[in-house]
Parts: sequence; C-alpha cells; structure tokens
Amino acid sequence: MPAINPSLADASNALVLTAVLLYALAMLCYACDFAFRKERLLAPEKEAQAQAKAKVPELVGAAASATTAAPDGPVSTPPPPPVTAAAGRAAGTSRWPTGFWLRTAFTLTCLGVLTHVADIVARGFAEHRVPWGNMYEFIAAITCMAVLVMIAVSVRFRAYYIGLFVLLPVVLSLAVDVTVVYTPAGSLVPALNSYWIAIHVTAMIVAIGLFLVGTVVTVMYLAADRNERRLAAGLPSRIEGLMVHLPGTTVLDRLAYRTILFAFPVWTFGVIAGAIWADHAWGRYWGWDPKETWSFITWIVYAGYLHARATGGWRGRRAAFIQLVGFGCLLFNVIGINLWVTGLHSYAGMG
Amino acid sequence: MIRRAAVTLVATAAVVLTAAGCEGGAIGQSTALSNGQSFVSGTGTTFLDAARRPKAPEISAKTLTGSRLSLSHYRGSVVVLNFWGSWCGPCRAEAPDLAALASRYRSRGVRFLGIDIQDNPANAKAFMHTFRVTYPSFNDPGDEIALEFRQTVPPAAIPTTLVIDRSGRIAARIVGGATYNGLKALLVKVLGAHAAGASQ
Amino acid sequence: MSRGPAGGNVREADSPAAAARTGEPSEAEVLAEATAPEPGSPAAGVQAPSPSGLGLIGWLRWAWRQLTSMRTALILLFLLAIASVPGPVLPQEGIDPSAVTQYYTAHPALAPILNKLSLFNVFAAPWFAAIYLLLFLSLAGCVLPRTFRLAGSARQKPPRAPRYLARLPLSASYATALTPAQALESGGRKLAGKRFRLRTGDGWISAEKGYLREIGNLLFHIALLALLASVGLGGIFGYKANRLLVAGQSFADTPTALDTYHPGRLVSATDLAPFSVTLNNFRATYVTSGPEQNQPLTFNAALSYNRSPGDPVQHYNLQVNRPLVIDGVSIYLIGHGYAPEFTVTDGAGKVVFSGAVPFIPVDQSGLTSEGVVKVSDASPTQLGFAGVFLPTAADENGQLVSVFPAPLQPRVSLVSYAGNLGLNSGPSQSVYQLDTSGMHRLAVAPRPLSVGQSITLPNREGKLTFTGYRQWISLAITHDPGQLPALISALVALGGLILSFMVRRRRVFLRAAAGPDGRTIVDFGGLARSDAAGGFEVEFAELAEELRTAQDGVTQAGVTKAGGDEPETSQDDKSPDDPVPAAAGTEPGGSAPSSGNHQALGPAEDANGE
Repeated sequence: MPAINPSLADASNALVLTAVLLYALAMLCYACDFAFRKERLLAPEKEAQAQAKAKVPELVGAAASATTAAPDGPVSTPPPPPVTAAAGRAAGTSRWPTGFWLRTAFTLTCLGVLTHVADIVARGFAEHRVPWGNMYEFIAAITCMAVLVMIAVSVRFRAYYIGLFVLLPVVLSLAVDVTVVYTPAGSLVPALNSYWIAIHVTAMIVAIGLFLVGTVVTVMYLAADRNERRLAAGLPSRIEGLMVHLPGTTVLDRLAYRTILFAFPVWTFGVIAGAIWADHAWGRYWGWDPKETWSFITWIVYAGYLHARATGGWRGRRAAFIQLVGFGCLLFNVIGINLWVTGLHSYAGMG
Repeated sequence: MIRRAAVTLVATAAVVLTAAGCEGGAIGQSTALSNGQSFVSGTGTTFLDAARRPKAPEISAKTLTGSRLSLSHYRGSVVVLNFWGSWCGPCRAEAPDLAALASRYRSRGVRFLGIDIQDNPANAKAFMHTFRVTYPSFNDPGDEIALEFRQTVPPAAIPTTLVIDRSGRIAARIVGGATYNGLKALLVKVLGAHAAGASQ
Repeated sequence: MSRGPAGGNVREADSPAAAARTGEPSEAEVLAEATAPEPGSPAAGVQAPSPSGLGLIGWLRWAWRQLTSMRTALILLFLLAIASVPGPVLPQEGIDPSAVTQYYTAHPALAPILNKLSLFNVFAAPWFAAIYLLLFLSLAGCVLPRTFRLAGSARQKPPRAPRYLARLPLSASYATALTPAQALESGGRKLAGKRFRLRTGDGWISAEKGYLREIGNLLFHIALLALLASVGLGGIFGYKANRLLVAGQSFADTPTALDTYHPGRLVSATDLAPFSVTLNNFRATYVTSGPEQNQPLTFNAALSYNRSPGDPVQHYNLQVNRPLVIDGVSIYLIGHGYAPEFTVTDGAGKVVFSGAVPFIPVDQSGLTSEGVVKVSDASPTQLGFAGVFLPTAADENGQLVSVFPAPLQPRVSLVSYAGNLGLNSGPSQSVYQLDTSGMHRLAVAPRPLSVGQSITLPNREGKLTFTGYRQWISLAITHDPGQLPALISALVALGGLILSFMVRRRRVFLRAAAGPDGRTIVDFGGLARSDAAGGFEVEFAELAEELRTAQDGVTQAGVTKAGGDEPETSQDDKSPDDPVPAAAGTEPGGSAPSSGNHQALGPAEDANGE
C-alpha cells in the first residue's frame, strides 16, 4: 500500500477546522435571523390552521356546490382560504432564503459543507482509501452528511428554520471529534480492506445523517407541542420569540416523519450490506456481535416508531419519544459500542 | 373459502416458525472460537447385522515405519481398525486394552490396525513404545484415510474403532474410548456369527 | 365477515361500532357522508354490544384478534428490543466463553442467577425465541389474510362517485363550455394517462391509484417471514466448523479433522463435502513505523486444495475478505499465530516428542503468544512445558516483551514440569492448557531460548530443544444452504419497504352536469389514504389545474380543504386502533379519513346509489 501523503493530510486537517468555523458563523447568522427577522415565516398557513381550529365541524359541507338543489346549511363564517398548487407548499414562502441574515447563514452553511467535503476528499486521497476507517473519520463523515441533508431539506421543504438547531449538534460533535477523537491519517486493518467499506459504511453514514436531522426536528416538534399545550392551558409561552419563526406542530411533525421515513430504508440497506460483508469476512452473516445487535435494536425501535404512527393514541408525542429512544440506541451503536464494548467491530482506532 | 385458506397458511407459518425457533441454535449461533478441544465428543457402539454391513473401502497407504500396507491384505481375517492420535487422552486410556486384545485374539484370526490421525511420526512411535503396541498403524496426517470412510461408516470422533468382518465388510463401530469387555464382546459376535456360516 | 354500512366486505373493526370507538370515520363513512342527502354526522350512536358468554371459540378468537393487533405488534417489537439488550452488555457464551468465565470469578453470587435466566446465551434462550416467534405469528396472522383481501379487492372496481364531492377532504369545481359527456371523456383520458384505474358511470368517473403501496407493504412483511424461515432452514441443514492449521499441515472435511463441529439437526457426517486443504505457508505484513506501527497490513495464506480425493490439486491465496468456496462450503481466514517447533528427547536420548505446537496470541500488538507442550510419552515420567513465544523479543524494564509481531528475533521461554499430565486417564483436555495438579515443577530456571538452544532437565529427565517456528491460521468452515434465500428475502423486504413508502393511495372523483347558464359544471373531489407524510393537496391541486386547463374551464370554486386541517392518516395500517382520546370532538381533523382503518382500498358499495 502506498505511503500516506503528509501534505494532503495536513490540508485535510486545515479544511476541517475551517469547516467548523464556517458552521459556527452560520449558526450565529441563523440566530440573528430569528432575532431580527421582521415578517413572520409561514404566517398565512399558521393563520389558516388557527381559523380551521375555530370552525365548527358541521360546516364541512359549507362550500357551495352547484350540484346540490338546496344550500347545505347556514354559512356563518367564510370558507377557508383556497389552496392553490403553489400555495400547497408553505404559502407565502419562496424556495430560496429571504432576508439578509438567512441568506448569509445559508451561504455560510453551503461554504462550510463544501469545505467539509473537501476535507474528507483530501483525507481520502492522503490515505489512498475510502476515508472512513476509524472513529474520527466516521464522525466527520456523519456530520458532513447531516449538513448536506439539512441543506436538502431546507430547500425542498422550505424549512430554513431548522438551520440553527441542526448546526448546533453538528458543530459540537465536530469540535469534539477534531480535538479529542482525532487520529492522524493512516491505513486500514486487513479486515476493513474491502470494497464493502464503500457500501456498508457509506449507507450507515447516509442513514445516520438523515436520522440526526430527523431527531433535531423531532425535538423541535416536542418543544413546539409543549408550547402549544401551555398556551391551550392558558399559561404564557416561554419561547414565544422562537415559536413565531417556526411553523406549527403539524408541519414539524410531518417534516420529522418524512426524514425518518427516508432514513429507515437506508438503515435497513446498511444492515443488510453489513451482514453480507460479515459473511464475506467472518464466515457468518449474523453473529449477534455487539454492534450487530445494537443496530438490530435500533432498527426494531424505528420499526416500532413507524408502527406507532399508524396506531391511534400513539401518534404525536409518544411516537416522538419512541423516535428519540431510537436515536439514543443509534448513538450508543455508533459511539458507545466502539468505546466500551469489545467485539469484532472494535475498529475505533482509539487507544 | 378465502378465510380457510388464510387460516391454513397461518398455521403452516406457525409450524415453520416453531421449527425455525427450535433450531434456536440457528438464531443463537455465532462464531465459535477454537477453544482447544481437539476432538469431537460423542460415544456409542453400533453393531450391524450381516445383511446391512457396507463394504470397507480399499485402503493402501504408508505405515509409520514407512512400509506400504493395504487393507485388502487382511481379507479373511477380522480386522479391528482404530483411529487414534498420540495427543488424544481417550486414545491413551484405551491403548492398553487394545494392545491386550490384539495379542490375545491374534491366534483366532483377528488383526489390529491403527490409523494415526494428525500426528507426528516421532510422537506416534513414542506412544506405541509406551503402550507396547505391536500392530502397525497407517500414517494419516491429512485425513485421507478417514475420508475414504465417508460414504460408509465414517469415524465421528477420535478415537473411533471399526470392526471389519472376514469378508471385508464393516460390522461394528465404537465411537469414543473402547473398553476391554466392550470390544471383546464385539469381536466374539463378529467371529461367532461368521463361524456359524453367515453369508459372504 | 360482516357487512359495513356501505356494504362490501369489511372486517368487524370497520363497522360503525368500531368507528364510534376510534372516533374517526372509516373511508366508507366518508364516502357515505358525501352521498347522504342531509349533512350531519355519520351513523353514530350504534354501540358495540358487550360480549357476554363468549365460549371457548369466542375467547380464542378474541385472543387471536389481540395477538394480531397493531398494539400487540408494538409491544412485542419493543420487548424484542429490550430482550436484545443483555446480549451486548453481558459476555456471551457463543462469542467469548473466556469472558463468561471471568464474569463468574468477578461476580460469584450474581453469575449463576444470570446463567439460569440464560443471560449468558441470550439469543438462544427460550424466552427470546418466544418473543420473536410471537411477533412473527402476529405478523403472519395479520399479513396473510390481508394478502388474500388485497387479491380479492384488486379485482373489484373503484367505488361509485359520491353525490356531493364538495364534502370530500379536497374538492374543486369549475365551469367549462364542453358538454358533460365531453368533459367526462377528456377528464377520463387525462386520469387514465396518469395511470389511474377508472370506473365510469352516468355523469361521473371514479378513479383510484396506489395499489402498489399495499403490495409493497405486504411484500415487506412476508419477506421477513421468509427470512426467518431461511435462517431456520440454514440452521437445520447447514454446519459450522473451525480448524487451526499449522503451515505444512493438511486436513479434510470430516468430523475427526475439525476442532469444533456444529452440525445442523439434519446433517450427518456423510453430507460433508470431501475436500482437503493444505496450508503451504502464511505471510503477514505489518506497519513498520509511524503512529500505526505493529498494525497488520496484509494477511495471505497460500493454500492447496482438492475437491475430492483424487481430484487435481488447485491453489488459492486465502485472505481476510477473500474466502475460499468449495462445493458450497465456504472457508474463511479468521486468525493467525505462531507455532514454535520443539524436539524433546528422554534421558536415554530417544526422541519422544517432535513437532510444532500452536501458541495462542495474548497480546495483539507484538503477538506475544502462550502455549504448552505436553510430552506424554517421555520416560521415566511425563513432561509438560508452559510458556511464551515472543516473535521479536526485547527487554523492556527488565521484562521480556515482544515489540513487533513479525518473527524478527524469536524467543521462547518455558517453565518445565514433570509428573502425570492426566491424559492417560481419559477425559479430554484443552491442548492449550496444562493441568499441573499431578505435576511438580522442575528446578530449571526459565530463560529465553533462541532457535537451536535447549533446556536440559535435571536428573537425566531429558532435554527440550527449540528447533524452529512455523505460523498457523485458524479457519472457519461454514455451509449454510439458507444463506442465499436469506439474502433474497432481505432484498425483497427492502424493495417492498421502499415501495410502500413511496407510493400513495388516492381516490379522485369527477362529476359533470349541466349548469344553470348552459355551461357544464365539473366537480372534482379527492381523498387520500395513508398520507401522513403529506403532499396530497399539492398533487390534487395540480391535477385539478390540469383538468381545468385541458377543458378550458373557468374556476367556480378553488381547491378547498374540507375541515381545514391535514387529514392525518396512517402509514402502515395493520389492524384496528385504539380510540383516539378526545381527538374526535376538538380537532377538525377528526372528520377526515381515518387512519387505522383496516380496509385496504376495498370496495364500498354505494348505499343509496344513483
């Protein structure tokens, strides 16, 4: 195997530090956006929600229909605002961020993720291999994936409000990763030296990035839900300043759900790919190795989450808690197993 | 009708599941590290009637002393074939009994042969010296002779003792350490049955 | 099979009684409400008769319904997750037996209790099996009847269009100059172009789409059943074995040659593929400098093998991640180590032992290895030696350690014993452990031997010479006929999962009638099931727009949401749900199509048709 390229390795280190800096600055700008933004984000939809709540169920048939002979009933309140195709997506918002602070924040995020990607690529070239072979590289890849997912979700669902909350754990993890977990560029042990690392570990990285964003949004949903319940009980809201800029619980819940929905098949594929690789390397596709067992537990908990969403009485908060438990299992799977439990998966590369 | 089909299918699924679950080893199995146990445990004596005896394979190989020997050379005698190794505890335990039976029944037309498995010739010779084993043993470091028996009565563990009748058919097998009386009883049976005019 | 208010085949849970329990109307009821001439709540007030005197069959049926309900599935899923937790937390017999032994010594009081509860072998424990068997039974009991129902309903046509489309969750209306027949025809063509299944009637079209979702869902769950069956079958008809092979040695695939052998229930020795494998040599390379020094880089075992006695010999380089497959049996390189070679002569100078003895690595960095030599045929007494082999021996603070895993400076240091090894009495012993209970230590100080050096034992007991060293590899030999079916099941499950997540079920209806001013009024309504992820409004609005522009229509009423809030429908219907507490009255979402409704796009015959 050719030797490690020191200049590229150094470049990679410099790039990751730059990325952390850019993310931190972006976080600041997101916060400033919350603080200084004048117009309310997604206000029309929230107003429609509030109006709809006030309606009496009997007015379901209030919209005039030319096919009925007689009017359906007294029309005492105006019908809800029409939903056009364009307004179906968060009425009143454009695809791209508006406002100085938000635009700056988004630009900084994109710059940061580009630097981050460049860091990973540089490290890969320095080591002449796929750059996820130990804990440091793994966490760097996961955080990069999380930011990429965040950007995609922001643009696709006009959900720029998640920026601050997603970047917070990203910056923290990356900072810890670069300082405490850091291992210099090196080569792979023979057991990891297979093309399967590009399949299995990559799938896991993608899934974990998605789950991370989903969890952040779930936490946001729980906070918003708690806020709503306080308001409903007549208590003053503690986080009103933040809540104005966030959409209602339904939107947050649905956003979290869609993210998890996307992540689950990817995680399933990652587990299957891991089983195929395990069979290739160790002679059996499933051996209840600690990491295998915990990824199985994580999968079961998320399957439980999906089933819970389909069960009455488990939909809102309870499902969200299940999701948090699932993410807890996932965190233990990623970090705890490598650090504290020895098994066939002990490739953390940490002393 | 659809309901009945559904019920049947579910019942079948239940049976399959239970079978799979009872193979609880399948779910519970994982990589077993070699723990140093160098032979497979398992004991038992099997005696086969004349009609059911499979023909012993043709074995021609070198002995520990370097000379060539073949099993067919002993057609007409009852042959006791003992799979052993100098490293194996139960083989050492049964060795005195085998040596005693070998000398006692030689005159009655019984010949003892050993098959030394995965062993070093020097160690094997030291073993034979210790236990005063006078009969020859094939040297089978690569399990080739053991493989020859795979279609008939394969050795399931070390030690395994096979008794082959005068026509060259495998009449009995002892898996695990043989005892003096146990093997003697088998020899009497095989010798006696044939003397009473059993089929060729 | 009872018939619901709108007719058709519905399970008991879809009756109005169940609807009253859950507080949410079934799809049939939404359609029924849209057809009823008077507005108002659905046919509620029908209370479920409380069961009295069920009898055995009734109780069994009740138990079965509980088992196959979604809530039980949830509970069992979480039980399975919790039950799996002790596995990685406590040492397991199947993975690391020595760790289990250590646990016993560390926790002498607790360990036997844990052992009784099978916590040292969690995944083979009967209670673990009970949980996943119950889960799969619940799964089978729900999925299989649903499959039949899907097959049945797929052959049936979409339901008739309700009379008052404006009462559907999403509706729109526009006027067009075309005649009703023309409007319907053009609308029908558009919908058919979008792959909707159509049913036309007098002045209306009913269209539906999205059966693939249920197919994907069922495929996923059935594939899980198949996966379990494959694992079970593989366990019954397959086997696993291990073998440690020193360079120069060969072995064949027969039980006597395998160190450990775990056959499935229906596997006999005659089923084993009769191959032979020889290890010619083994080479490993390691990182020589830098922060990763001592880390292994490559392992390569040069093997020769033949498939059957007499077949031509073939060669193969066995490496980690590169197994050898012979006749469906896979051979994997699991580990490696050193086997120092010794020659022991007795007091008379006769050779009583000669050969390589595998030593087991205890330190991964320098591959310091421990082992024993048992000379059972030494005279006058049996001899035993226990010690270490150091591939690259160096003195570190007065202690001898191995600083590099390659054999650059091999040394052996042994403690000598004489007495009774305990082998002659019969019970099996580990070849890596010396039982010194019947032996006494000889007064020879252990000193590191290099190749060629010897230990001379006192009292003319003999001499041990360290003559050289070889390397050994450990192999895992597995035959699993259930492996390929398991893989296929897993991939099919993944495909079904993706399908069920991506496809949405929806129904749209079109009505065209002559309007007051001579133009045709076209009503368009739609409802979605399983739309918890949202997005149907957008699709509906786009569809309405397309139809309108295709017919040059003028909007009479824009796309309206009845109820205002997003219908929260289920993702993965399995069976009747629990009542949604307080949701029916306060949230307008309660009037939207239900989640939990078990009916899979079933037919709902129009109660008061046309």
